[in-house]
Amino acid sequence: MAAKPPSARSKDRRPNVVRSASTRPKGFYAILVLVAVLGASILAYTMTRKPSTAAAPASLAASAATAGPAQGYLIGKPDAPVKILEFADFECPACGRFATITEPDVRKNLIDAGLASLTFYDYPLPQHLNSQAASNAAACADDESKFWPMHDQIFGAQDQWNTQATDNPKPMFMSYARAVGLDMARFEACYDTRKHQKRIAANFAEGERRRVNSTPTFIVGDKQVANAISYDELKKMVDEAAKK
Amino acid sequence: MTKRMIVATLSLAGIFVALYLLLYKLGIIGNLTCSIGSCETVNLSKWATFLGAPVAAWGVGFYFVMFGLSLVSLQDRHADSLGMSKALALVSGSGVAFSAWLTYLELFVIHAICQWCVVSAIIVSVIFVFALLDLRDRSSLAGVDSSALQNL
Repeated sequence: MAAKPPSARSKDRRPNVVRSASTRPKGFYAILVLVAVLGASILAYTMTRKPSTAAAPASLAASAATAGPAQGYLIGKPDAPVKILEFADFECPACGRFATITEPDVRKNLIDAGLASLTFYDYPLPQHLNSQAASNAAACADDESKFWPMHDQIFGAQDQWNTQATDNPKPMFMSYARAVGLDMARFEACYDTRKHQKRIAANFAEGERRRVNSTPTFIVGDKQVANAISYDELKKMVDEAAKK
Repeated sequence: MTKRMIVATLSLAGIFVALYLLLYKLGIIGNLTCSIGSCETVNLSKWATFLGAPVAAWGVGFYFVMFGLSLVSLQDRHADSLGMSKALALVSGSGVAFSAWLTYLELFVIHAICQWCVVSAIIVSVIFVFALLDLRDRSSLAGVDSSALQNL
Protein backbone atom coordinates (compact mmCIF):
# COMPACT_ATOMS: atom_id res chain seq x y z
CA MET A 1 0.00 0.00 0.00
CA ALA A 2 1.37 3.32 -1.04
CA ALA A 3 1.91 5.97 1.63
CA LYS A 4 -0.55 8.79 1.63
CA PRO A 5 0.84 12.14 0.59
CA PRO A 6 1.68 14.41 3.54
CA SER A 7 -1.21 16.68 2.76
CA ALA A 8 -3.59 13.81 3.38
CA ARG A 9 -2.16 12.99 6.75
CA SER A 10 -4.55 13.19 9.60
CA LYS A 11 -2.87 14.96 12.48
CA ASP A 12 -4.62 12.89 15.12
CA ARG A 13 -3.04 9.74 13.74
CA ARG A 14 0.33 10.78 15.05
CA PRO A 15 1.36 8.98 18.17
CA ASN A 16 1.64 11.07 21.32
CA VAL A 17 0.23 14.17 19.66
CA VAL A 18 -3.09 15.52 20.77
CA ARG A 19 -4.41 18.34 18.67
CA SER A 20 -7.01 20.62 20.04
CA ALA A 21 -8.21 24.15 19.64
CA SER A 22 -6.66 25.05 22.95
CA THR A 23 -2.99 24.55 22.07
CA ARG A 24 -2.42 28.08 23.40
CA PRO A 25 -4.33 28.27 26.65
CA LYS A 26 -5.95 31.55 27.43
CA GLY A 27 -3.87 31.59 30.58
CA PHE A 28 -0.77 32.06 28.45
CA TYR A 29 -2.00 35.33 27.03
CA ALA A 30 -3.06 36.43 30.48
CA ILE A 31 0.50 35.80 31.69
CA LEU A 32 1.92 37.78 28.75
CA VAL A 33 -0.39 40.69 29.53
CA LEU A 34 0.59 40.46 33.20
CA VAL A 35 4.32 40.53 32.38
CA ALA A 36 3.80 43.44 29.98
CA VAL A 37 1.78 45.47 32.48
CA LEU A 38 4.22 44.69 35.28
CA GLY A 39 7.28 45.56 33.19
CA ALA A 40 5.75 48.76 31.84
CA SER A 41 4.65 49.81 35.33
CA ILE A 42 8.11 49.27 36.80
CA LEU A 43 9.73 51.19 33.95
CA ALA A 44 7.24 54.03 34.31
CA TYR A 45 7.92 54.14 38.05
CA THR A 46 11.69 54.26 37.62
CA MET A 47 11.34 57.06 35.07
CA THR A 48 9.26 59.22 37.38
CA ARG A 49 10.55 58.42 40.86
CA LYS A 50 12.89 60.65 42.77
CA PRO A 51 16.20 58.81 43.10
CA SER A 52 17.51 58.27 46.62
CA THR A 53 19.82 60.96 47.78
CA ALA A 54 23.42 60.10 47.13
CA ALA A 55 25.89 60.50 49.95
CA ALA A 56 28.13 63.49 49.51
CA PRO A 57 31.72 62.69 48.60
CA ALA A 58 33.69 62.70 51.84
CA SER A 59 35.99 65.53 50.81
CA LEU A 60 33.04 67.70 49.83
CA ALA A 61 30.97 66.86 52.86
CA ALA A 62 33.86 67.89 55.07
CA SER A 63 34.35 71.25 53.43
CA ALA A 64 30.76 72.11 52.48
CA ALA A 65 29.97 73.57 55.88
CA THR A 66 32.72 76.15 55.58
CA ALA A 67 32.68 76.55 51.83
CA GLY A 68 30.83 79.84 51.76
CA PRO A 69 28.27 80.90 49.17
CA ALA A 70 27.84 78.95 45.96
CA GLN A 71 29.44 80.44 42.89
CA GLY A 72 28.27 78.93 39.64
CA TYR A 73 29.53 79.57 36.13
CA LEU A 74 27.34 81.91 34.12
CA ILE A 75 26.82 81.94 30.38
CA GLY A 76 24.61 84.61 28.87
CA LYS A 77 23.55 88.03 30.07
CA PRO A 78 23.51 88.42 33.86
CA ASP A 79 20.22 90.31 33.55
CA ALA A 80 18.56 87.84 31.21
CA PRO A 81 14.82 87.61 31.89
CA VAL A 82 14.95 83.91 32.75
CA LYS A 83 17.69 82.19 34.68
CA ILE A 84 18.40 78.50 34.15
CA LEU A 85 20.35 76.79 36.91
CA GLU A 86 22.01 73.49 36.09
CA PHE A 87 23.42 71.12 38.70
CA ALA A 88 25.61 68.64 36.90
CA ASP A 89 28.35 66.09 37.30
CA PHE A 90 31.06 66.15 34.66
CA GLU A 91 31.25 62.38 34.67
CA CYS A 92 27.52 61.62 34.47
CA PRO A 93 26.57 60.35 31.01
CA ALA A 94 23.20 62.10 31.00
CA CYS A 95 24.96 65.41 31.76
CA GLY A 96 27.40 64.68 28.94
CA ARG A 97 24.58 64.00 26.56
CA PHE A 98 22.85 67.23 27.50
CA ALA A 99 26.09 69.23 27.18
CA THR A 100 27.03 67.82 23.79
CA ILE A 101 23.66 67.31 22.11
CA THR A 102 21.08 69.64 23.65
CA GLU A 103 23.13 72.52 24.98
CA PRO A 104 24.32 73.84 21.60
CA ASP A 105 20.67 74.52 20.73
CA VAL A 106 20.08 76.05 24.16
CA ARG A 107 23.00 78.42 23.73
CA LYS A 108 22.05 79.39 20.20
CA ASN A 109 18.31 79.82 20.61
CA LEU A 110 17.89 80.84 24.23
CA ILE A 111 21.14 82.26 25.59
CA ASP A 112 22.58 84.01 22.54
CA ALA A 113 19.09 85.30 21.79
CA GLY A 114 19.00 86.93 25.22
CA LEU A 115 15.98 84.95 26.39
CA ALA A 116 17.77 83.21 29.24
CA SER A 117 21.07 82.73 31.01
CA LEU A 118 22.48 79.45 32.28
CA THR A 119 24.50 78.98 35.45
CA PHE A 120 26.36 75.71 35.91
CA TYR A 121 26.87 74.36 39.44
CA ASP A 122 29.15 71.41 40.22
CA TYR A 123 27.37 68.43 41.68
CA PRO A 124 30.00 65.66 41.61
CA LEU A 125 28.43 62.32 42.56
CA PRO A 126 30.41 60.05 44.88
CA GLN A 127 30.48 57.08 42.51
CA HIS A 128 32.25 59.14 39.85
CA LEU A 129 35.80 59.12 41.08
CA ASN A 130 37.18 61.60 38.54
CA SER A 131 34.31 64.06 38.63
CA GLN A 132 35.79 66.30 41.32
CA ALA A 133 39.04 66.44 39.37
CA ALA A 134 37.04 67.53 36.32
CA SER A 135 35.27 70.22 38.35
CA ASN A 136 38.67 71.30 39.62
CA ALA A 137 40.06 71.56 36.08
CA ALA A 138 37.04 73.52 34.90
CA ALA A 139 37.26 75.89 37.89
CA CYS A 140 40.94 76.48 37.14
CA ALA A 141 40.03 77.31 33.55
CA ASP A 142 37.56 79.86 34.92
CA ASP A 143 40.53 81.75 36.41
CA GLU A 144 41.33 82.67 32.82
CA SER A 145 37.66 83.09 31.83
CA LYS A 146 37.74 79.80 29.92
CA PHE A 147 35.28 77.77 31.97
CA TRP A 148 32.86 77.16 29.12
CA PRO A 149 35.43 76.12 26.50
CA MET A 150 36.89 73.78 29.14
CA HIS A 151 33.40 72.56 30.05
CA ASP A 152 32.85 71.65 26.40
CA GLN A 153 36.22 69.89 26.14
CA ILE A 154 35.62 67.87 29.30
CA PHE A 155 32.11 66.79 28.40
CA GLY A 156 33.03 66.18 24.78
CA ALA A 157 35.69 63.65 25.75
CA GLN A 158 34.00 62.18 28.81
CA ASP A 159 34.83 58.60 27.88
CA GLN A 160 38.55 59.39 27.72
CA TRP A 161 38.99 60.49 31.33
CA ASN A 162 36.08 59.00 33.32
CA THR A 163 36.45 56.44 36.10
CA GLN A 164 36.33 53.58 33.64
CA ALA A 165 39.00 55.07 31.40
CA THR A 166 41.66 56.04 33.92
CA ASP A 167 42.53 56.61 37.56
CA ASN A 168 44.77 59.51 36.57
CA PRO A 169 42.79 61.99 34.48
CA LYS A 170 45.25 64.86 34.87
CA PRO A 171 47.06 64.32 31.55
CA MET A 172 43.73 64.51 29.74
CA PHE A 173 42.74 67.71 31.52
CA MET A 174 46.18 69.16 30.73
CA SER A 175 45.61 68.45 27.05
CA TYR A 176 42.19 70.15 27.18
CA ALA A 177 43.74 73.13 28.96
CA ARG A 178 46.28 73.37 26.16
CA ALA A 179 43.53 73.07 23.56
CA VAL A 180 41.56 76.00 24.99
CA GLY A 181 44.68 78.12 25.28
CA LEU A 182 45.25 78.30 29.03
CA ASP A 183 48.48 79.35 30.67
CA MET A 184 49.71 75.84 31.36
CA ALA A 185 51.93 76.64 34.36
CA ARG A 186 49.15 78.59 36.01
CA PHE A 187 46.60 75.91 35.24
CA GLU A 188 48.76 73.11 36.59
CA ALA A 189 49.54 74.98 39.80
CA CYS A 190 45.83 75.65 40.32
CA TYR A 191 44.91 72.05 39.52
CA ASP A 192 47.55 70.49 41.77
CA THR A 193 46.69 72.65 44.77
CA ARG A 194 42.95 72.10 44.25
CA LYS A 195 42.61 75.83 44.62
CA HIS A 196 38.86 75.83 43.99
CA GLN A 197 37.88 72.95 46.22
CA LYS A 198 35.83 75.27 48.42
CA ARG A 199 33.95 76.64 45.44
CA ILE A 200 33.13 73.14 44.24
CA ALA A 201 32.01 72.17 47.75
CA ALA A 202 29.86 75.29 47.97
CA ASN A 203 28.21 74.52 44.65
CA PHE A 204 27.57 70.97 45.80
CA ALA A 205 26.13 72.25 49.09
CA GLU A 206 23.83 74.55 47.11
CA GLY A 207 22.55 71.51 45.27
CA GLU A 208 21.97 69.75 48.57
CA ARG A 209 20.11 72.77 49.85
CA ARG A 210 17.89 72.69 46.80
CA ARG A 211 17.31 68.97 47.28
CA VAL A 212 19.08 67.98 44.10
CA ASN A 213 19.57 64.24 44.06
CA SER A 214 20.02 63.39 40.42
CA THR A 215 22.13 64.85 37.65
CA PRO A 216 21.60 66.86 35.66
CA THR A 217 18.95 68.86 37.50
CA PHE A 218 17.59 72.06 36.01
CA ILE A 219 15.87 74.84 37.89
CA VAL A 220 13.97 77.38 35.84
CA GLY A 221 11.87 79.81 37.82
CA ASP A 222 9.94 77.77 40.35
CA LYS A 223 10.25 74.55 38.35
CA GLN A 224 12.89 71.92 39.11
CA VAL A 225 13.36 68.94 36.84
CA ALA A 226 15.89 66.10 36.91
CA ASN A 227 17.51 64.24 34.01
CA ALA A 228 18.70 65.33 30.59
CA ILE A 229 15.61 67.06 29.32
CA SER A 230 15.19 67.89 25.66
CA TYR A 231 15.60 71.33 24.15
CA ASP A 232 11.83 71.56 23.64
CA GLU A 233 11.15 70.79 27.30
CA LEU A 234 13.66 73.38 28.46
CA LYS A 235 12.32 75.95 26.01
CA LYS A 236 8.81 75.34 27.34
CA MET A 237 10.03 75.90 30.90
CA VAL A 238 11.78 79.11 29.86
CA ASP A 239 8.67 80.35 28.03
CA GLU A 240 6.50 79.64 31.06
CA ALA A 241 8.94 81.36 33.42
CA ALA A 242 9.10 84.39 31.11
CA LYS A 243 5.33 84.82 31.33
CA LYS A 244 5.36 85.00 35.12
CA MET B 1 3.86 24.27 23.01
CA THR B 2 4.47 24.95 26.66
CA LYS B 3 8.19 25.35 26.08
CA ARG B 4 7.60 27.92 23.37
CA MET B 5 5.21 29.75 25.68
CA ILE B 6 7.93 29.88 28.31
CA VAL B 7 10.34 31.21 25.68
CA ALA B 8 7.81 33.90 24.70
CA THR B 9 7.15 34.91 28.31
CA LEU B 10 10.84 35.10 29.20
CA SER B 11 11.57 37.05 26.03
CA LEU B 12 8.93 39.60 26.99
CA ALA B 13 10.48 39.91 30.45
CA GLY B 14 13.90 40.27 28.78
CA ILE B 15 12.61 43.17 26.68
CA PHE B 16 11.86 45.14 29.84
CA VAL B 17 15.21 44.32 31.47
CA ALA B 18 17.10 45.45 28.35
CA LEU B 19 14.83 48.46 27.96
CA TYR B 20 15.60 49.53 31.53
CA LEU B 21 19.33 49.48 30.79
CA LEU B 22 18.79 51.27 27.48
CA LEU B 23 16.73 54.04 29.09
CA TYR B 24 19.57 54.58 31.56
CA LYS B 25 22.12 54.65 28.75
CA LEU B 26 20.02 57.23 26.91
CA GLY B 27 19.83 59.38 30.02
CA ILE B 28 16.09 58.97 30.48
CA ILE B 29 16.57 57.20 33.81
CA GLY B 30 18.96 59.09 36.03
CA ASN B 31 20.17 56.35 38.34
CA LEU B 32 20.19 52.58 38.01
CA THR B 33 18.76 50.55 40.86
CA CYS B 34 21.68 48.26 41.48
CA SER B 35 21.86 46.61 44.89
CA ILE B 36 24.47 44.08 43.81
CA GLY B 37 27.56 44.90 41.76
CA SER B 38 28.45 48.05 39.86
CA CYS B 39 25.88 48.59 37.15
CA GLU B 40 27.10 52.08 36.37
CA THR B 41 30.73 51.01 35.97
CA VAL B 42 29.68 48.39 33.47
CA ASN B 43 27.21 50.55 31.60
CA LEU B 44 29.57 53.48 31.32
CA SER B 45 32.48 51.40 30.11
CA LYS B 46 33.55 51.44 26.48
CA TRP B 47 32.31 47.85 26.24
CA ALA B 48 28.73 49.04 26.73
CA THR B 49 28.65 49.98 23.05
CA PHE B 50 28.74 47.45 20.24
CA LEU B 51 28.96 48.39 16.55
CA GLY B 52 28.02 51.96 17.34
CA ALA B 53 24.89 51.14 19.33
CA PRO B 54 24.45 50.61 23.08
CA VAL B 55 24.67 46.93 24.02
CA ALA B 56 21.32 47.39 25.75
CA ALA B 57 19.78 48.38 22.40
CA TRP B 58 21.08 45.13 20.91
CA GLY B 59 19.50 43.38 23.88
CA VAL B 60 16.14 45.01 23.26
CA GLY B 61 16.35 44.04 19.59
CA PHE B 62 17.34 40.47 20.43
CA TYR B 63 14.48 39.97 22.87
CA PHE B 64 11.99 41.49 20.43
CA VAL B 65 13.14 39.04 17.75
CA MET B 66 12.90 36.14 20.21
CA PHE B 67 9.48 37.27 21.36
CA GLY B 68 8.17 37.67 17.80
CA LEU B 69 9.66 34.38 16.70
CA SER B 70 8.19 32.49 19.65
CA LEU B 71 4.74 34.01 19.08
CA VAL B 72 4.86 33.01 15.41
CA SER B 73 6.00 29.52 16.40
CA LEU B 74 2.90 29.22 18.57
CA GLN B 75 0.56 29.67 15.60
CA ASP B 76 -1.21 26.43 14.66
CA ARG B 77 0.41 26.22 11.24
CA HIS B 78 3.89 26.41 12.80
CA ALA B 79 3.10 24.37 15.89
CA ASP B 80 5.00 21.31 14.69
CA SER B 81 7.54 23.16 12.60
CA LEU B 82 11.03 21.82 13.09
CA GLY B 83 12.31 24.88 11.25
CA MET B 84 10.82 27.20 13.85
CA SER B 85 12.41 25.16 16.63
CA LYS B 86 15.77 25.39 14.88
CA ALA B 87 15.34 29.15 14.46
CA LEU B 88 14.48 29.60 18.14
CA ALA B 89 17.48 27.53 19.18
CA LEU B 90 19.79 29.34 16.75
CA VAL B 91 18.76 32.86 17.73
CA SER B 92 18.73 32.13 21.46
CA GLY B 93 22.08 30.34 21.08
CA SER B 94 23.58 33.46 19.54
CA GLY B 95 22.12 35.42 22.46
CA VAL B 96 23.78 33.09 24.93
CA ALA B 97 27.12 33.40 23.12
CA PHE B 98 26.91 37.21 23.13
CA SER B 99 25.86 37.20 26.76
CA ALA B 100 28.75 34.89 27.67
CA TRP B 101 31.17 37.28 25.99
CA LEU B 102 29.70 40.22 27.93
CA THR B 103 29.95 38.28 31.19
CA TYR B 104 33.59 37.51 30.41
CA LEU B 105 34.22 41.24 29.85
CA GLU B 106 32.53 42.09 33.14
CA LEU B 107 34.53 39.56 35.14
CA PHE B 108 37.96 39.81 33.56
CA VAL B 109 38.20 43.14 31.73
CA ILE B 110 35.91 45.64 33.45
CA HIS B 111 36.20 43.88 36.82
CA ALA B 112 32.64 44.80 37.75
CA ILE B 113 29.32 43.02 37.61
CA CYS B 114 26.01 44.58 36.63
CA GLN B 115 23.12 42.79 38.28
CA TRP B 116 20.74 43.54 35.42
CA CYS B 117 23.24 42.12 32.93
CA VAL B 118 23.35 38.97 35.08
CA VAL B 119 19.54 38.84 35.12
CA SER B 120 19.55 39.14 31.34
CA ALA B 121 22.21 36.43 31.03
CA ILE B 122 20.10 34.10 33.17
CA ILE B 123 16.96 34.85 31.14
CA VAL B 124 18.68 34.20 27.82
CA SER B 125 20.24 31.00 29.16
CA VAL B 126 16.87 29.66 30.33
CA ILE B 127 15.35 30.64 26.99
CA PHE B 128 18.09 28.70 25.24
CA VAL B 129 17.50 25.62 27.41
CA PHE B 130 13.78 25.63 26.61
CA ALA B 131 14.49 26.26 22.93
CA LEU B 132 16.77 23.21 22.93
CA LEU B 133 14.13 21.11 24.70
CA ASP B 134 11.60 22.25 22.13
CA LEU B 135 14.00 21.37 19.33
CA ARG B 136 14.47 17.92 20.84
CA ASP B 137 10.72 17.38 21.00
CA ARG B 138 10.18 18.50 17.41
CA SER B 139 13.09 16.39 16.18
CA SER B 140 11.74 13.26 17.86
CA LEU B 141 8.28 14.09 16.53
CA ALA B 142 9.67 14.43 13.03
CA GLY B 143 11.33 11.02 13.46
CA VAL B 144 8.04 9.46 14.64
CA ASP B 145 6.25 11.11 11.75
CA SER B 146 8.50 9.62 9.11
CA SER B 147 8.35 6.13 10.65
CA ALA B 148 4.57 6.43 11.00
CA LEU B 149 4.34 7.37 7.35
CA GLN B 150 6.38 4.36 6.35
CA ASN B 151 4.00 2.10 8.27
CA LEU B 152 0.92 3.43 6.51
